[in-house]
Amino acid sequence: MVSKSKRVLALVLTAMMASAALAGCGPTEVTQTQNSTAGETTESKAAGDSAESGDGESKASAEAVDIYSDEMIKNVKDKMKEEAAQTDGVISLKVWCSGDDLQFEKKLIKEFEEKYKSDDGSYSFKIKASGAIGEDNAGGKIIESPQDGADVFNFADDQLSTLVEAKAIAQVSDVFQNNLIANNTEDAVGVCSINGTPYAFPKTSDNGYFLYYDKRVFKDDSEVASFDDMIQKANSNKKSVYFNLTNGWYNAGVYFTAGVKIEYKDGKQTTTFDSDEGLAAAKAMCHLAESSDKGFLGTAGSSGDNAAVQKGFKEGTLAAAVIGTWMGPAIKEAIGEENVGAAKLPTILINGEQKQTESFGGYKIVGVNQFSKYQITSQALAYFLTNPESQLKRYNERGLIPTSNEALADEKVKVDPALKAINDQKAYAHAQGKSVSGVFWASNVGGFGGEIVAAKGKIDDAALKKSLKDLDEQINK
Amino acid sequence: MTNSKSSIQGGYAAKKKAVNTLVYVILTVMVIIWIFPILWLIMQSFRGESGISTSYFFPKEWTFDNYKRLFVEVDDAGNVLPLDEMRFPYLRWILNTLLVATLSCVISTLFILMVSYTLSRLRFKSRKTFLNLGLILGMFPGFMSMAATYSIMEIFGLKQQLIALVIVYSAGAGLGYQVAKGFFDTIPRSLDEAAKIDGATRNQIFWRIILPLSKPIIVYTALTTFTGPWADYIFVSYFMKDNSDNYTVALGLYSMLGNQTISEYFTVFCAGAVLIAIPITILFVVMQRFYVAGVTGGAVKG
Amino acid sequence: MNYLDYVQMTKGQRFAYNIKSFFTGIPGAIVKLFVVIGNFLKNVFSFIVTGFKNYGSRFAKGDIGTKLSYVVMGAGNMMHGQIGKGICFLAAEIAYFAFMINFGWSYITKIYATNVQVDENTLVNGVIGKEPPIYQEDSVFGGSKKVINLDTLDNSNKVLLFFVMTVIVCIAFFAIYITNTKSAYATQKTLAEGKKPIGFIAELKMFLDERFHVTLLTLPILLLILFTILPIIFTIFMAFTNYDKEHQPPGNMYWWVGFANFADVFYSNPLKSQTFGKILIWTLVWAVFATFTNYIFGIILALLINKKEIRFKAFWRTMFVITAAVPQFVTLLLMRLILSDDGAVNSLLQGAGLPVIPFLSDATAARITVIVVNMWVGIPYTMLITSGLLMNIPEDLYESARIDGANAFQQFTKITFPYIFFVTTPYLITTFVGNINNFNVIYFLTGGGPSPSSYYQAGQTDLLVTWLYKLTVNSSDFNLASVIGIIVFVVCAAGSLITFNMSKASKNEEEFS
Repeated sequence: MVSKSKRVLALVLTAMMASAALAGCGPTEVTQTQNSTAGETTESKAAGDSAESGDGESKASAEAVDIYSDEMIKNVKDKMKEEAAQTDGVISLKVWCSGDDLQFEKKLIKEFEEKYKSDDGSYSFKIKASGAIGEDNAGGKIIESPQDGADVFNFADDQLSTLVEAKAIAQVSDVFQNNLIANNTEDAVGVCSINGTPYAFPKTSDNGYFLYYDKRVFKDDSEVASFDDMIQKANSNKKSVYFNLTNGWYNAGVYFTAGVKIEYKDGKQTTTFDSDEGLAAAKAMCHLAESSDKGFLGTAGSSGDNAAVQKGFKEGTLAAAVIGTWMGPAIKEAIGEENVGAAKLPTILINGEQKQTESFGGYKIVGVNQFSKYQITSQALAYFLTNPESQLKRYNERGLIPTSNEALADEKVKVDPALKAINDQKAYAHAQGKSVSGVFWASNVGGFGGEIVAAKGKIDDAALKKSLKDLDEQINK
Repeated sequence: MTNSKSSIQGGYAAKKKAVNTLVYVILTVMVIIWIFPILWLIMQSFRGESGISTSYFFPKEWTFDNYKRLFVEVDDAGNVLPLDEMRFPYLRWILNTLLVATLSCVISTLFILMVSYTLSRLRFKSRKTFLNLGLILGMFPGFMSMAATYSIMEIFGLKQQLIALVIVYSAGAGLGYQVAKGFFDTIPRSLDEAAKIDGATRNQIFWRIILPLSKPIIVYTALTTFTGPWADYIFVSYFMKDNSDNYTVALGLYSMLGNQTISEYFTVFCAGAVLIAIPITILFVVMQRFYVAGVTGGAVKG
Repeated sequence: MNYLDYVQMTKGQRFAYNIKSFFTGIPGAIVKLFVVIGNFLKNVFSFIVTGFKNYGSRFAKGDIGTKLSYVVMGAGNMMHGQIGKGICFLAAEIAYFAFMINFGWSYITKIYATNVQVDENTLVNGVIGKEPPIYQEDSVFGGSKKVINLDTLDNSNKVLLFFVMTVIVCIAFFAIYITNTKSAYATQKTLAEGKKPIGFIAELKMFLDERFHVTLLTLPILLLILFTILPIIFTIFMAFTNYDKEHQPPGNMYWWVGFANFADVFYSNPLKSQTFGKILIWTLVWAVFATFTNYIFGIILALLINKKEIRFKAFWRTMFVITAAVPQFVTLLLMRLILSDDGAVNSLLQGAGLPVIPFLSDATAARITVIVVNMWVGIPYTMLITSGLLMNIPEDLYESARIDGANAFQQFTKITFPYIFFVTTPYLITTFVGNINNFNVIYFLTGGGPSPSSYYQAGQTDLLVTWLYKLTVNSSDFNLASVIGIIVFVVCAAGSLITFNMSKASKNEEEFS
């Protein structure tokens, strides 16, 4: 099967080369017809893949090819040479990633350059990675001025649909499409696709939050069952439980729990904050905020989440925090690996009832700029940064949970407490891409949480209702 | 008589002394309030313990490391990274800022002198229009049109270039003519007249007679235009976007305080801030009389 | 009052007179503002009318050369013997038409395109740019990838920008054209008087003397037009489009929407208009407080330092000046960290068993905090400036006051303060405008927060300008941002024009001395 698909691919490739050559002088229609047939074949192949990919064994998946076989590498290199020709043999790419990951990603990029080094020196790479634009707003910056944007950029999955609408992100090239589908979990592939077409490469599956706790305060998972109990226990230890209510990404979990609808569908954002459920959620937050300074910490202060959590664990003022894997290494360093526990979120008191707190769950993914001059090089790089091997390296160095079946099957990954926590939380996690878009983040959902925290929950129902109504108005245009 | 007089004087003197003591106390308290944050900044820059804030004033562990880390970064393997590879290349920011500040200082100063001299001492038909136009344009918020300015830079192939910053800082300089014009207004017109009788052209009058007399205002203009780029954040952040090679000091230091890096780099930020504050402070303290002369439009002579 | 009366006054009387005329001038200045605006419109109108009249009469009275120069620029000059100048005019005409044919005209036609299909099922009139960006099928490495070619794309931003550029070129050309007809007629008259028109070299030499102002102003004005005026006009146009998050070029286009954005800000969109109202009020409150607290306390500090018996004046001054010299973003970020809920001050308070003060997280507290911190930032400046002024007050004023039995307080209210106030009025105006536009203090200290849900894209300490910035950078509401920019302009301009006229009324003194 593998060899057959290779042959098909090689065929398609030759056709493409020829058509690309033709496109230079001949009518473009020729190209288009060939393209569309090629598209159809790959689509049917893709459908076959996703059905099979469920078994979790990427090697067994029939349609995956060895991207790094000599033949494939040569094909890609030929194409790179062609792309380099438009800019005097230099392929200059920009990569955006999180500042935290910068050093790590730079290492991967070096490996990539080595792998695709020109055999005859006909082209060279000039790849510049920058941590200035983080994963939280890369999509927006690309849309704003795609011509200034990175060729390859890391971003959170909820930005994908707006990127596609703005025609700013490139489809995943057929060369990598099969492997992408075969390598990664079905869920991850789904997140990276719009209407069945993959637009991005899944990188990590941990863009969500759960509970990290200090085992010296809470013995095990049984003691972190509800916020109320935790807060009480933390307070008696003169410590706090951290849950940042001043940030819409975190406090949305409370709204979800109460049954508020936060949906993003067909380019439209809808929310039902102004409802009984919304009020219940707001009151639940008020309830938590009442314990501010008495075992609960609901704000990051001026320094931001990460700094607040790191400082809190280091100075011993925090006993538990609702945060994600990216803080895992820092927390381990602060209180010692043996003292770090991870669990799904605790329950929260809503309308007098303890309910499992829901959350956002998402992926961090890698996209290629639609306007990049070096489409294939960029795609090859994006694929390289997210292939199973790189994902495993990323886990080992940065503690970020992979999306590839192969990497997830790794012994060390399998037993990671954070992975278990994420999996436990999964049933209560809402996919970010299907829930929210830029309009949501631009609203003052976080600011409202900030009001509640600042007032220590002492806000009357009428004022809460008014605020909830304002929120709806901001979001549902 | 003498007795009572001296007692009155004594009372007066005592009262005066009490008032003066009170003034000293107030001044001391105020200086402490004003200097405290600066001292705190300096203390933080020598702090060995990481993290953003401490509940104590003096560092528990004194170190020069924060200053060292501004210039030297070591990777995991222990190799010293070249400037291009550094996460926060402070030296590059300084050089960038120095370049931008020097160029825009020279160009802006020249422009301001040219425009204000023209509007102050030459009479021509559309002079009033220019005066009003300058006033009106100055009322638009400076960064309101920065998106459009960026597009124009793009047309000229200057986007994300340091030269674009120089242009932005100096292109609008002509609008800042008020202060210098006020100064030129105070130079007697008889000087020009005399020179004209001697057969000098206005070109010669400008370069040979007026400019040599304008030292205070030249220094003031140069000072303000030179220090501007060291503190500007908005334009640099909008113009440089992700091009961290061309960051200036202000944007670079600000980027250290990102959510992900703040706890690791806060003390380094403080060190960087102290280093740029020193020359600017010295410059400012030395040149303060020119500054006063400038702002008050010649009401106080430097 | 005439000149004679004025010069006969003593120094003190002159001073009192100036102060008096300043304050009595205030109501007059407001009235005068409207008169000024009216006069301006009248002047513009008469300028246009007489311009056209002269244009016609020149043609009627002109000889062949002059008449020809109405079509072929420079013809008149050439026929009247000014070859060099004529060639310059002709070259300008050729260059202009080449520019318009190759470049400019297409953008004028694209500024209002009708029936443009902006997505699958919407036709829109008034779109800026003609063709919507459509994916083109392209063969990139094996498949159905679609790409857009940026270079050939009709991008709304590009079209609008080039349109504004073309209009400016047209205006400039029109001015040159009129100059050409005038010049042709002028040389005709010179010839008729039997004189020889001035030579080309001689005319160039005038740029170093009679026309030196042209030489000095050309470069600054060119750059000003290109990098200040052009962007401002472009941005003003944006206020009348729907250039927002969903209509961002090059992926999407935007189109004209008339005054819809202004309506949004003023009344039709409750959330935005309420946000605007609250921010506008806070901006004005802030500007008043920020300006006058700094001003008054700065003067008091200067008085303390400059008190005769106080020693080490330079030391005290320098101590305060140091804080003014450290770059603002550093000190302000530092203040933010010191004052935040988990910052140094609150750590100390907590250590002492006291409750945390929400310096930056509670609306009222945050507003007070920014004003107080702004005092910390601004007082040294005022102190520095007024220190210089205090030494300038003529000592004989105090002498005579003391003889009249005035105490220290009276001396301050009667002499010191009026004098300082008088001299620093322009400074006060610029500070006030500067505070309306004070980005740094707000942005670095509170970031505009706290941000309750009743604010659109803003917080309770946001000023109009920081709101503008957030709308541009965070939420890509470019159209709304430009509306706010225009409003800030109107607020500043109105305020300044009034005070400017006022200070003009009191500046008669300049003409006497």
